Amino acid sequence: MKKVIRKNNQIIIPSSQIYLARVDSFVEGKLKKLKLDKNQLADLAISVTEAVNNAIVHGNKKDPEKKVTLRLICEKSCICIEVEDEGKGFDLNSLPCPITEENLLKEVGRGIFIVRSLMDKVDFIFKPDGGTIVRLTKYLKNKE
Amino acid sequence: MKLTTREDKGIVILEPKGKIMGGPDATLLHDKLHELITQGKKKVVIDLAKVDWMNSTGLGILISGLTTMRNNGGELKLANVTEKIQSLLTITKLITVFETFDSVDQAVASFK
Repeated sequence: MKKVIRKNNQIIIPSSQIYLARVDSFVEGKLKKLKLDKNQLADLAISVTEAVNNAIVHGNKKDPEKKVTLRLICEKSCICIEVEDEGKGFDLNSLPCPITEENLLKEVGRGIFIVRSLMDKVDFIFKPDGGTIVRLTKYLKNKE
Repeated sequence: MKLTTREDKGIVILEPKGKIMGGPDATLLHDKLHELITQGKKKVVIDLAKVDWMNSTGLGILISGLTTMRNNGGELKLANVTEKIQSLLTITKLITVFETFDSVDQAVASFK
């Protein structure tokens, strides 16, 4: 796969970090229409780049033949963003805690920790035939 | 992300602008910090006033810069940390690692 495919609320990119900014622009463009506050927008943007970066680097191991798919689902009460890779998945329980003293100065390993802090709900779906979907959910303020 | 550099009283002030999210842009800041070390410039302030937000890649670059400076006898300090970045530093407990200042002038003065 060598090009970006955009279709409605979905964008598909090759497994390269050079496309991170394109994904951010895509999501920002879609979310602007929802009149979210600046803080919510930043939380979503940060979390999306974390999830997409993880999908590219850890999920697809930067394999140019593998793609990362992002789907944006806007509902009355929440925004869901799904990021899907074609990798082999990982063990959630094996992730080191980045705020312990021995890990505090490590340059990597904070992505999922940050996403869990900024989003209201984070689901990991490990597909039996391969591939992982990370579903980020942010509930909208002033709505049930 | 864009990056400008200036000096004040022998202190290098880096001014990134935009979002620090990884990819080619992020290497700008990383490479600049390592370039400063090779030039013997070891007192650095990063002015974050114009950074919209950063993710864990951005935090990793700041940590890399801090440890590289400290390992070479220097220091890296942060100025004008925005509310969003302050929040990330707090969540990740990195607020306990970095010296932060409300202005670049205060950060520069702290080196004396």
